[in-house]
Amino acid sequence: MKKTVLIWLAIGLVSFVLLPWHMTEDGLYDATWMTDGVAATGLFSILAGQWWLAPAGLAILAAIVIQLAIDEPVKRARLTLGTAVAGLAFIALQGLIIVRAGPRIFETLFVSEAVMAGQPGMGAGAGICALALLFAATISLSQSDKGQGDAFVVSTIGLIVALVAIFVFFPVIHILVRAFEVDGGYSLTEFFPRFFSSDIWDLSCLISNRSCGVGINSLFLAVMTGAGTTLLGLSFALIFTRTDFRAKKLLRVLTVLPIITPPFVIGLALILLFGRTGTITEYFADLLGWEATRWLYGFWGIYFAQLLSFTPIAFLVLIGVVQGVSPSMEEASQTLDANRWQTFRFVSLPLMRPGLANAFLLGFIESLADFGNPLVLGSGYSVLSTDIYFAIVGAVADPAKAAILAIALLTLTLTAFMAQRMWLGKKSYATITGKADSGQNASLNPILKWACYCTALPWAAFTLVVYSMIIFGSFVKLWGINHGFTFDHYIRAFGIDFSTGRFSGVAWDSYFTTLTISSIAAPLTALVGLSTAYLLVRQKFWGKDAFEFSTMLSFAIPGTVIGVSYIMAFNFPPIELTGTSIILIIVFVFRNMPVGVRGGIAAMSQLDKSLDEASITLGANSFTTVRRVILPLMGPAVLAALTYSFVRAITSVSAVIFLVSAKHNMATSFIVGRVENGEFGLAIAYSAALIITMLAAILLLQLLVGVRRLRRSDRVQQIAKTA
Amino acid sequence: MKKLGMVSVAALLASGAVAWADELSLVCSAEQDWCDLMVAAFEAENPDTDVLMVRKSTGETLAQVRAEAGNPKIDVWWGGTGDPHLIAAEEGLSQASGVDTSELLGWAQNMAEISRGKTVGIYAGALGIGYNADILAEKGIEPPQCWADLEDSRFEGEIQVANPNSSGTAYTELATFVQLFGEDEAMTKLAAVGKNVNSYTKSGSAPSKAAARGETGVSIGFMHDMVKLASQGFPLKIVAPCEGTGYEVGAVSIIDGARNLVGAKKWVEFALSAEVQSRAPEVGSFQVPSNSNAQVAPESPDLASIKLIDYDFATYGSSETRERLLARWDSEVGDPNPQQ
Amino acid sequence: MTKKTGSVRFESVVKKYGEVTALKKLDLSIDPGKLVTLLGPSGCGKTTTLRLIAGLEMATEGKIYIGGEDVTHLTATYRKVSMVFQSYALFPHMTVRENVAYGLTVKSAPKAEAAQKADEGLELVGLAGFGDRLPSELSGGQQQRVAVARAIVLEPEVLLLDEPLSNLDAKLRRHVREEIRQIQQSLGLTAVYVTHDQEEAMAVSDDIIVMNNAEIAQIGTPNDLYEAPSSAFIADFIGDANLVPCDVDALDGAIARARVNGQKLSVPSNGIRKGAAQMVLRPQALTLQKPDQPGLEGQISYAAYLGKEMQYTVETLVGSLFVIGPVQAQPFLRGDSVSVGIIEDQARLVSA
Repeated sequence: MKKTVLIWLAIGLVSFVLLPWHMTEDGLYDATWMTDGVAATGLFSILAGQWWLAPAGLAILAAIVIQLAIDEPVKRARLTLGTAVAGLAFIALQGLIIVRAGPRIFETLFVSEAVMAGQPGMGAGAGICALALLFAATISLSQSDKGQGDAFVVSTIGLIVALVAIFVFFPVIHILVRAFEVDGGYSLTEFFPRFFSSDIWDLSCLISNRSCGVGINSLFLAVMTGAGTTLLGLSFALIFTRTDFRAKKLLRVLTVLPIITPPFVIGLALILLFGRTGTITEYFADLLGWEATRWLYGFWGIYFAQLLSFTPIAFLVLIGVVQGVSPSMEEASQTLDANRWQTFRFVSLPLMRPGLANAFLLGFIESLADFGNPLVLGSGYSVLSTDIYFAIVGAVADPAKAAILAIALLTLTLTAFMAQRMWLGKKSYATITGKADSGQNASLNPILKWACYCTALPWAAFTLVVYSMIIFGSFVKLWGINHGFTFDHYIRAFGIDFSTGRFSGVAWDSYFTTLTISSIAAPLTALVGLSTAYLLVRQKFWGKDAFEFSTMLSFAIPGTVIGVSYIMAFNFPPIELTGTSIILIIVFVFRNMPVGVRGGIAAMSQLDKSLDEASITLGANSFTTVRRVILPLMGPAVLAALTYSFVRAITSVSAVIFLVSAKHNMATSFIVGRVENGEFGLAIAYSAALIITMLAAILLLQLLVGVRRLRRSDRVQQIAKTA
Repeated sequence: MKKLGMVSVAALLASGAVAWADELSLVCSAEQDWCDLMVAAFEAENPDTDVLMVRKSTGETLAQVRAEAGNPKIDVWWGGTGDPHLIAAEEGLSQASGVDTSELLGWAQNMAEISRGKTVGIYAGALGIGYNADILAEKGIEPPQCWADLEDSRFEGEIQVANPNSSGTAYTELATFVQLFGEDEAMTKLAAVGKNVNSYTKSGSAPSKAAARGETGVSIGFMHDMVKLASQGFPLKIVAPCEGTGYEVGAVSIIDGARNLVGAKKWVEFALSAEVQSRAPEVGSFQVPSNSNAQVAPESPDLASIKLIDYDFATYGSSETRERLLARWDSEVGDPNPQQ
Repeated sequence: MTKKTGSVRFESVVKKYGEVTALKKLDLSIDPGKLVTLLGPSGCGKTTTLRLIAGLEMATEGKIYIGGEDVTHLTATYRKVSMVFQSYALFPHMTVRENVAYGLTVKSAPKAEAAQKADEGLELVGLAGFGDRLPSELSGGQQQRVAVARAIVLEPEVLLLDEPLSNLDAKLRRHVREEIRQIQQSLGLTAVYVTHDQEEAMAVSDDIIVMNNAEIAQIGTPNDLYEAPSSAFIADFIGDANLVPCDVDALDGAIARARVNGQKLSVPSNGIRKGAAQMVLRPQALTLQKPDQPGLEGQISYAAYLGKEMQYTVETLVGSLFVIGPVQAQPFLRGDSVSVGIIEDQARLVSA
């Protein structure tokens, strides 16, 4: 351990001396800093007059001296911890105080010329120094007490807390303080009347035919969507694991499709099918002699679109959980003379509780933060996410209102989160114990089976229709008006000029950017998300609940708010990221991390803790245990996290709109532009291409991650054969 | 632990570049194709300059420019309705370009005057009424000719218009009514029209798209958007209201603190030139160009034949007027919690 | 296989979970090569003690030594102990061989060597040839033996077993515990064994540590505990015992004069002091006689024939007594009045 601390400190020292402290104009791809950038390293910057960088370097040096000079382990660890934390604090402080432009703190305290001149954003040198100090601190922390902590665990906690603080709290605070802003000052008293205004919480829709406040609208929609997607997801999961349904493969594809559909596309397809002049509406209107109405615009339209869009998330969470319910428990129940329904009702279903709760929570939060569907289909049904968007970009920009609505949205999320915690309580849901069982999962009783078919299959059919329409739409000249067959949209988007070998299609740039960024973001997201889940389920540490909630925060805040707050926070030193691809990667990692966390928690709470303990008593450290025991047993959760974060990175739009730049334009922002321009054909052709790409990627992932091998055969009981 | 470390290191190493001196960072708020055309034409004329263009709506751009104030990543903002450009000018987010505006039409020069040269008009588009010929024919509804027709009960549930709280287009409509009929009368009329409105959409361009597809019978919006939809093959007919109508002016601004000021100025001069303005119809953009020497496409709504009001951008662009009118609109016309 | 077996020593070890004290100042010492059982009712702290040895829990106070080395601050990873879990905790995604080799491979032993050692381990527990199966394809007893093999191939200084037999049926349980004992003895392993089953403890242990209420109640060989219980709790917990209140009137060397319900007896003093005490009467220390004989008067409330012996419950003035008697031609029946005689040298005294 002493060695590990020293290695990190050495890395820190080397980067302080050799790497440019600040961000360079050319980035690090370009090696020019090696030659003409010598003066930019931390050490040389100090010599050049940037004295405020000295504490960082001194802290590293001091920590190394402490490591080498002090023999008593606890004392050594405590001193190192103190020094490293002081170093980190200095790095943060100098970054916030000495800036070129933008907000600075203690403005009046430091007025020397060098300080006022400011400095560019932190670069590789600063980053690695901070990281080295962080790890020196966390490893020391793990040793400074009674050996309570495992260095790996404490370091992971430290790193995740630091990352969440920098990339979730720091930006979000920038926008949330706006809620308290009154004419250049801040006031608490102004906040409450604004927050509790009837515009947000009005309940009059219950007693009159007026509409409720946006908060109530959002809440109602979110509860309905959460419940609906959980139910549908469960039906699908049961069909997959407990029946001998024949077309499972097709269903599987259908359950994945909506996730990989760029925003607006589902809404558009719904309009073309069910709008007033939609194909299906007109068909039934003619058939039944009804007048075609605009029923789709409003609650029902959004609700259907959200069910289509978010059911797959519930399914992905639930499939792992349903698979994980130990057959022996079901068999135990059956041997106790419970019938199949009772077994399901009193054994299997309660064991799936964590999965159900997590699926509901995700559906709820997704619905709250959903922006595309309410925008296209909302009409008069206002929800928080769109109102926030228009409070920021509308004709009257009102960041204070946006912040208040965002706080309302956060309140709803927090409440749902708390409710979930209370419902789950402290019961144990571990069903994968180290005691291997070879039993068979109980098959569903016929009524339940048909109930599942009846909920899931119409949805599947619906999805199939919607997607056929999308494919159809990409091959016709003008969807809804001129149904002549054409390849034009594809050629415009993805044309290749074979004579010159040039990618002449208009979509190529954003297509490649999107794929690159998503491929980088996905594994990072899964890593951060699953690590967090591991910490939450398996480790005890101080402030765990707060930690858990903070990791959910970025997911709960609408993308628009995140997008704007990222610009506010990261457009200026000390961390200047706007206009780069990093900011896109980061926003994806921290927005999508909660899905990895939720899925990981659900999967991990089914793993018996004695498996970890067995590994540890066999001499493996936490890291090896995670790698060799926990990760392999969480195959489906890993797959879900990877898939979902990859796909979300490709399909997310609201946060991205503010963060894309000319060099790094994303597919969704391109598609939205085309939709705004009325070029549905091109937009849909591009979407179709993205869908195919993502399908291919998912299949590839499935091959790479593989299927968890617990029992040798597929264990669904064949009712016909046994009964 | 090391793995996590390496990942963070890798992320830091990936730090990209911010901007090159010979790069021009452009946000385009017009239609994508027009943006592409402009960039290609500019780069052909200035081969040394690499234009980094991204398309964002005016609202999004204004929000970004505000958030980036002090350290902007954008050099020049081209296209999009003039109000946000004027707001940016008012808030000191853009800077005067000092470009010669003598060749420009009156409304474009007016724009520059109001903003003390910080933003200049590049095109104009008149507000109008669109209707779906198929739907109205099917329902036997007489098409509208005037704003006043929209108050008629034959249009009940058939009119769609944007909400001025979120849409600049709808605010232009509100301001047009006020300038045509006086403030009190305008509110009464808008409320009467409101009885026929099936939905106040968030986005300004949504009503015309809905009318084109027949999701609504009648829409209010900018005529050039309607021309474009009609030219794509939708059965959308366009009406210039008999009482006269207001218009928007699309604008171009240089962001305060632009890193490539020289390039930005070049861009503004280029964008105002007759030659490039004449090319907009190539990509289906039928706004009226601001350069008096530019050619106007035959499909473009002929501003001469439309009764245009003398739109007072200075008054109706100011935050004070805007807030007052929107507050009145909320209480007298639009229900902040509309019925479903 | 191993000769590096080690001792275990606790010095004033305290374990608290927040306000709850799971272990009060525990001192104990386990000699190398011994199999020691931690025995006690649920919640007595025996599992906590085991986990403290394993390093899965950390002591709140005190010091822990394994093989003479202070390991108080070492986590489980770095202690040379292995553990067999109640649930076996076999890794379901690994084959039996991979499971057994796991501990070796995480210490980066060469693959071939690890596999070979794993096979040796499997052979030792009688599962040679099962290496390629998945745990789910083995019976409960086989899984249990895999868990043992996985623990012992690491040649631990101490082998820990947490109720290893509780998931097995009664017959298998006896068989496996004999195997465990035999392997432990042949390898000369130090083993700490947790169970709540006193018969199991008696059968396998060199020494038994009986725990109650987060502290040690008595340490001794099975024989010590049975023959010389230090308290009523031990007497009751180890084997069957009737506890009867009595008065010690006088002490005469190793003999104490005591009265039970007026009846005077001379029994081994077992270090007792004068005054009120309790007499431990094993079922075999009691005889049933016709009511006219001297003894405690009583009535039979339950009688059962178990083949090799008879079991009776007799209601007397000092409470109901559990008595084992020989199979007789004419057994006592329920309802019969009897006199319960006490075999004096088999009675034991413990403090009240």
